[in-house]
Amino acid sequence: MKSRPLMLWSLLVLLHGVSIAQLLDPHKLLEAEPTDTWPTYNGDYSGRRFSPLIQIHTSNVSSLALTWMYRVKVAAPMRGVTNPEIKSTPLMVKGILYFTIPDHVFAVDARSGRELWHYDWVDQGGHLVGNRGVGMYGDWLYFMAPDGWFISLEARTGNERWRKKVADEKMQYFTTMAPMAVGHHVLIGVGGDAIDVPGFLEARDPETGELQWRWNTEPRKGEPGSETWPNAAAMEHGGGMTWLPGTYDRDLNLLFWGTGNPNPVTAGQGRKGSNLWTCAIVALNPDTGKLVWYFQASPHDTHDWDNVETPVLFDATIDGKPRKLLAQAARNGYFFVLDRTNGKNIISKPFVPLNWSKGVDASGRPIPDKAKEPTVDGSYLTINWGGGTNWMPPSFSPQTGLFYVNATRGYSIVYLTDASDEPEGYGGFGQPLWSQHVLEAIDFRTGKVKWSHAYTTADGTQGGNSGPGVLTTASNLLFTGDYNGNLIAFNASNGDILWHFPALHSLSNGPETYILDGQQYLVAGAGDTLYAFSLVPHRP
Amino acid sequence: MNISTRSGLAAVFVVAIAGALGPAQSDGSNENSSASAQAQKQDGQRALRTREFLGLGRQPDPQLASNGEKIFGPTCGFCHGADGRGGTGPDLLRSTLVLDDDKGELIGPVVQNGRPSRGMPAFSALTEEQVRAIAEFLHMQVELAENRGTYRVQNIVTGNTRAGEAYFKGEGKCYTCHSVTGDLAHIASKLSPLDLQAVELYPEARSYDFGGTHPPRQVTVILADGKKLTGSLKHLDDFYVSLEDEQGQYHSIAITKGVKAVVEDKLVFHRKMLDHYSDRQIHDLTAYLVTLK
Repeated sequence: MKSRPLMLWSLLVLLHGVSIAQLLDPHKLLEAEPTDTWPTYNGDYSGRRFSPLIQIHTSNVSSLALTWMYRVKVAAPMRGVTNPEIKSTPLMVKGILYFTIPDHVFAVDARSGRELWHYDWVDQGGHLVGNRGVGMYGDWLYFMAPDGWFISLEARTGNERWRKKVADEKMQYFTTMAPMAVGHHVLIGVGGDAIDVPGFLEARDPETGELQWRWNTEPRKGEPGSETWPNAAAMEHGGGMTWLPGTYDRDLNLLFWGTGNPNPVTAGQGRKGSNLWTCAIVALNPDTGKLVWYFQASPHDTHDWDNVETPVLFDATIDGKPRKLLAQAARNGYFFVLDRTNGKNIISKPFVPLNWSKGVDASGRPIPDKAKEPTVDGSYLTINWGGGTNWMPPSFSPQTGLFYVNATRGYSIVYLTDASDEPEGYGGFGQPLWSQHVLEAIDFRTGKVKWSHAYTTADGTQGGNSGPGVLTTASNLLFTGDYNGNLIAFNASNGDILWHFPALHSLSNGPETYILDGQQYLVAGAGDTLYAFSLVPHRP
Repeated sequence: MNISTRSGLAAVFVVAIAGALGPAQSDGSNENSSASAQAQKQDGQRALRTREFLGLGRQPDPQLASNGEKIFGPTCGFCHGADGRGGTGPDLLRSTLVLDDDKGELIGPVVQNGRPSRGMPAFSALTEEQVRAIAEFLHMQVELAENRGTYRVQNIVTGNTRAGEAYFKGEGKCYTCHSVTGDLAHIASKLSPLDLQAVELYPEARSYDFGGTHPPRQVTVILADGKKLTGSLKHLDDFYVSLEDEQGQYHSIAITKGVKAVVEDKLVFHRKMLDHYSDRQIHDLTAYLVTLK
């Protein structure tokens, strides 16, 4: 069942198709599980990061060997963030990998690891905290520079086609998202929380970069949702940032997106109410930007728990009925399963210990405990200050029925530093106490953790929220990394470790896999280096 | 492992930085102590690093900003609020004109000419110097909201000292390992209340901060044949353990079947307790510990 806008789009695709062969055939984007291409941030629109490839399997993974390495050569330290770190998931199209770090785009030969071109942006400010990668449409790449520029490049050359200013870095917006091509739209989101600014998601024209629609993550005065804010001024403080790519269901023609925390981040006294549409999962029409449904994960968040984590799409039979589902391991520590046709909740269950919520209401929405909001003298939380997980990509294997996430269990104490009636900025901070990183395999039917692996470390205490992502394959493998520089392959069913590789840095992106010249590759970014592995290193 | 250095963490993630660079030390209660001096130094580093990370402009001049505050209040505060956060007039901390301004070159003309179409009168009597000071005050207001490295905790000592003492000597079981005349003697002269409140919960909590390192730990590695190696732990992950023995000899051992690394863990009890604290107990304990000058 295709919706009408997509039929029109298919026609456009056909018209393009007759002119010249494109690098990325837009139909690739609609394949459920492409294996010879990694065409989007998550590999496909479902966000599952599950590959049907089975050449590398549980019996031969122990002989997986390094094929090539590519190290980014840019001046270090980068402003404010020390060394370059690859957080992007490279696109792989027709034998070429396209990936980013802040201010830089690289095209690298997927067979040899040789650089083809390098686009170097000179920023005028903005955060260099990370960049999640490029989006692709036909022969064109899309990149977000840290100072609010949305840039299109020719994929063959790296030459710039055009640039559009989409956000003001002086207002502390940060632009780190991998643009996402859906139909005749390129979707771009923003981050920002140092100044209280409103969030939004935009669709732009792939040819010209012109705005098609903008969806605001807070209602304006009088609009639906405004009843969840005390007044228009509070709504203007904004938040609800959209800094990670969402997912897309072509049959429902719906985009699914996570929204970030409201502002001020930790001082909520000036914005009483649940603060829609922040800290929510929303379903939008990709052709109009209209909100179709929403589910709020953290009503009135005061803990900086952006709900941007990937909304992962899969289908399953529940009580004998086929269901279209959406699952998310949220930063607030809850694992959610929703019916993605209407947003109705099926499962809400914590995947890490937590005390910020008093349980869930009849609609599955967590009920925040007011006593656990940040206080001047410190409010004690039995969850990591950075949350139960973060942006690092999770994975869902339809074979095991397990949702895999790199989680953090921990304790913290949170302080309010701006107790005024009209706070501005963060207004507080959290003190981490003790935490531990754990890979968890969650049964989507129950929300219970079927198996977990606490990464062994020297001191037991592990800070930070760096992000090793997860990849699963149809050969029952799970690829991820620890926080000690090891890339690791697990048995996806039971958590046994089958392979590891000591890299120079810890895994900092979501690993990916594809087949090229009949060879299955595993590609992972760790620190400033991209590593490619295969069973028989391809060296002609 | 890069968790012992702040720089390793800084690249990691924006909100890790929010947590890491956010914590501010001084609360003004230890004016002349070394704890206070050290805290002030750390505060300064935090503010600078957060400034660099956020890509903010130059650091505002506190004296000039203070001069500006005295002019801003009576002149501009009626509409924009004494703190510039808005009233009948707009919030100036989120004004692109203010954020684009450096030393009054954009703010100045607006102040001196007003914006009659929007009901803002001209303040043409203000000197250039006064306008410059007003601009600096606004930049400082932006700094204090935007640069979370400048945030300072207010009074966190709100608990009941006697209840804290009772908890220390009773339910909290702190006394089983600690003594207020031994290891904790004068602890409040060494640590700020904020630090005390963190370390009373988990002694290594503050080692997340600048330059902090975890103390060395002893490890015993039991090999497959039952032999044991003991020494100072160098590295441990799921695959390898390494140590330096008493003779200074370095050993690296693959953790294969039958090999076990047992790390000395003095904080087991602290971790168990983490599941049992209430906010009241924490605040009472802090109130007691700050008396240990």
